[in-house]
Amino acid sequence: MTNDSTHAATAEVTAIDTQARVPLTLLLAAGLIWLVISGVLGVITSIQLHTPGFLADCSFLTAGRAQAMRETSFLYGWIANTGLAVVLWVLGRLGGSPLRALNWTVAGTIFWNLGLAVGLVGIGLGDMTSFASFQLPRYVGVLMLFAYAAIALPGVLAWSGRRSHGLFASHWYGVAALFLFPWLFSAAQLVLLWSPMRGTLQAVAGGWYTQSLWSLWLAPLALTGAYYIVPKVAGRLMPSYDFAPLGFWTLIFIGGWTGGRHLVGGPVPAWIPTMAVVACTMMLFHYILVGLNLRIASQAGGTAIKFIRFGLVAYVLTGTLDALTSFRVIAVETQFTFMATALEQLGVYAGISMMLFGALYYMLPRLTGRPWASAALTTGHRVLVSFGVVLLVATLAVAGWTQGSDLLDSKLALGEIFNRLRVPLMVGTAAQIALVAANLLLVVNFFRSACVCCATSTPSETPFRQPSALEAHAS
Amino acid sequence: MSTPLNSDPRIDQAAVTDESLQSAHDVLLGKQPDEKARYKLLPLNLLFLFSGLIFLAGTYLNRYAGHFDPHIYNENSIPVKGGAVAAVVVDPVVAGKKLFNNAACNTCHMVNGVGQPGAIPPLVGSDWVTGSEERIIRIVLHGLQGPITVNGANYNSAMPPFGRVAGSGFNWSDDKIASVVTYVRQEWGNQAPPVTTAKVTEIRTKDGDRKPWTVDELQKLP
Amino acid sequence: MKNGFIFLLGLFTAIALSWAGIVLGTHAQLGALTPYYDDTEGKSFPERTTGIAASGQLVYADLGCAACHTQQVRRPDYGSDQARGWGERQSVARDYIHQSLPQLGASRLGPDLANLAGRKPSAPDAEDLLKLLYAGSLTHPPYKFLFEQKSIVGESSARALRLTGNLAPAPGHEVVPSDRALALVGYLLSLNTAYDYPESLPATPPAAGHAPDTKQEAKK
Repeated sequence: MTNDSTHAATAEVTAIDTQARVPLTLLLAAGLIWLVISGVLGVITSIQLHTPGFLADCSFLTAGRAQAMRETSFLYGWIANTGLAVVLWVLGRLGGSPLRALNWTVAGTIFWNLGLAVGLVGIGLGDMTSFASFQLPRYVGVLMLFAYAAIALPGVLAWSGRRSHGLFASHWYGVAALFLFPWLFSAAQLVLLWSPMRGTLQAVAGGWYTQSLWSLWLAPLALTGAYYIVPKVAGRLMPSYDFAPLGFWTLIFIGGWTGGRHLVGGPVPAWIPTMAVVACTMMLFHYILVGLNLRIASQAGGTAIKFIRFGLVAYVLTGTLDALTSFRVIAVETQFTFMATALEQLGVYAGISMMLFGALYYMLPRLTGRPWASAALTTGHRVLVSFGVVLLVATLAVAGWTQGSDLLDSKLALGEIFNRLRVPLMVGTAAQIALVAANLLLVVNFFRSACVCCATSTPSETPFRQPSALEAHAS
Repeated sequence: MSTPLNSDPRIDQAAVTDESLQSAHDVLLGKQPDEKARYKLLPLNLLFLFSGLIFLAGTYLNRYAGHFDPHIYNENSIPVKGGAVAAVVVDPVVAGKKLFNNAACNTCHMVNGVGQPGAIPPLVGSDWVTGSEERIIRIVLHGLQGPITVNGANYNSAMPPFGRVAGSGFNWSDDKIASVVTYVRQEWGNQAPPVTTAKVTEIRTKDGDRKPWTVDELQKLP
Repeated sequence: MKNGFIFLLGLFTAIALSWAGIVLGTHAQLGALTPYYDDTEGKSFPERTTGIAASGQLVYADLGCAACHTQQVRRPDYGSDQARGWGERQSVARDYIHQSLPQLGASRLGPDLANLAGRKPSAPDAEDLLKLLYAGSLTHPPYKFLFEQKSIVGESSARALRLTGNLAPAPGHEVVPSDRALALVGYLLSLNTAYDYPESLPATPPAAGHAPDTKQEAKK
């Protein structure tokens, strides 16, 4: 290992981090608050699944509305805020100079979350659009778009003004996430809300949006952090890195074509689900290459890596199961069941969110210049959230598989199927409660850590070790 | 390379700097001079795997896309050449039933074909219906007037012309006439052979426009 | 990927391609889908939805009924949809052309509703549905907020639900469905896929039992 003394800027925490402290901590805090809100809504919806009468008298929280609010606050609250913070920070670090125009991010954060809150109240009052993962009412769309642009601006500036000429993998994913979401969101707004397409075309366009959101936004947000942190902590070159571009472009080019994923057997021409099956199969390229590149995560330690490793395994598993269950032979069993929910949770919770947790744990000490406040809370959160998410996905998968085979048996009445689902669904509620508890630990830890930095001046001694230079031919 | 211990769960130590992380990986992408010629082709096993996936995907797309036809909903079928709905086979009994229950027929002959005593003769078990197709086609085409005896009971009323002939308020195509006649000949326990559109056309062209038939005229026919 | 502009162009091409292929492609194929005119019945299918059904669909959407109910029947040999009596045939795009907000749904915790009003042998009637909405069941939540409990002034309302047992309102009171409940029920009772379109028929026609000489529609 060579000690790189030629670079003056090798100190682990620099002006890049200190400048970004307040705006990015604000984004992270907003994300965590939405995470808890969506967790509470998750508990409510999961109780409603096995006890339909729960809160049914409250029109604000019918099963459909609570479910839409849970999903929306999770995607556009937790993942959006946290993911954007991670992307901005990584792009800043890679750009080599402090982020510019961070005031825009602060303003954008306020308006984005304001818009989201208004949107959620709107859903509760019955203004949901009824398209999966696109439930925000029409009237907040434009506000959200402008707020998004404001949040993303420093990231784009950091990218265009970067010092090095090459682009690192995190650049690709980060810039793709920043750049593609507005197109995606406004294109869907146009054909679903402003000038709605006819009949089942809405379902096709809705499917295109849902799948594109996954592959062009949620996954890149998380992978930006993973591709940066894993080699950084492991101190190694990523194996098979020369194929990383192939993995990236597969995700970006093929992702949208999986749009007919959930329309198998539905009232759309057969070629749409067929195309989705083909695209899901081709997407395996991406998942395999990401797995190959980031397999060095298994050779490093620490809180962040443990989270990211969990997330990566879940992410690759999501892709594989997605491809498998898209085939018609298997889809006839899994379609319209909790298996779809299980896969969705595997993707966005066990995959994306765990990677974002890892990035959050890596990032916050660098923003505040101090370690996390409590080791016990850190470990406690990791253990409890891993337990909760595994339990949740497993029970949903069991419920989904039972439900699928029961539905195929036409002699079994729906009420009977429902009775057989009750036990797994009750365990699912326990998992949701565990997740809320785990995330409350994180919130406490986060605010203690963040407030310590506000209360005292900069710490006298940096807790960070001096990083060394990566040897180009190390592997 | 030594892996940082990272034993403190409260903080993750980085092993390498940002600059070296980027420049070292840039080399792998061939963006910077590669002195030691470390490029390698796609590893063979990956190549095989990817080729297999592409082959599988391509075959599936070719086999199950229904030629990208908008009216193909079953992935196992392919569109028929010369129009999207060309191959649809219409069962004359189904079409005839719709016609019977939709238009004037059921209001007089009733849905179950029993007619009305004294006025409208029954279709169930009637020789007029299940007997000669020459007669029943003409009755539906041109109508019928005057008394008629069916199954021993007398009826007297007027049946309007349904065919595409002068004085018809319905102007049904020969197709429809054939369907509805086939229907009444095969419904309610009636078991007579179906009539073809060609036969209806033949009779209509031969007789042309004329006034409704009477029983006497019909009985002269085969 | 050194050149930022080309990189952005690549991203844009990617999203534009899938957008054009999936969204615009189907729009070009099905955007101008017309109702099917049936010569023998002398009218077009699907029939226009009534005003109450159209507003009921919005109620269905804003309550989020699609979280547990689908409205799409798969073809008879794929899944058990037909065997469960949810519909005799595959749902096709033409079924939905008059709907402003088709509710295909993605979860079948409850039954499929695409052919609710056309179910055989017995389709539910308005009273069944209103009672289910008011009282709920073991598997269905009660939506009492769609109803109004009020004291009877003069004559009791013609709309009032006839409830018995422990559901019955206090003496002198009645439970009256709101306009939203009536719209929702009106919508549910309009759901019907009884008409067979050419494209919804099975790929291989069943053996024509009645007539040996089947004729091709193309001949017309």
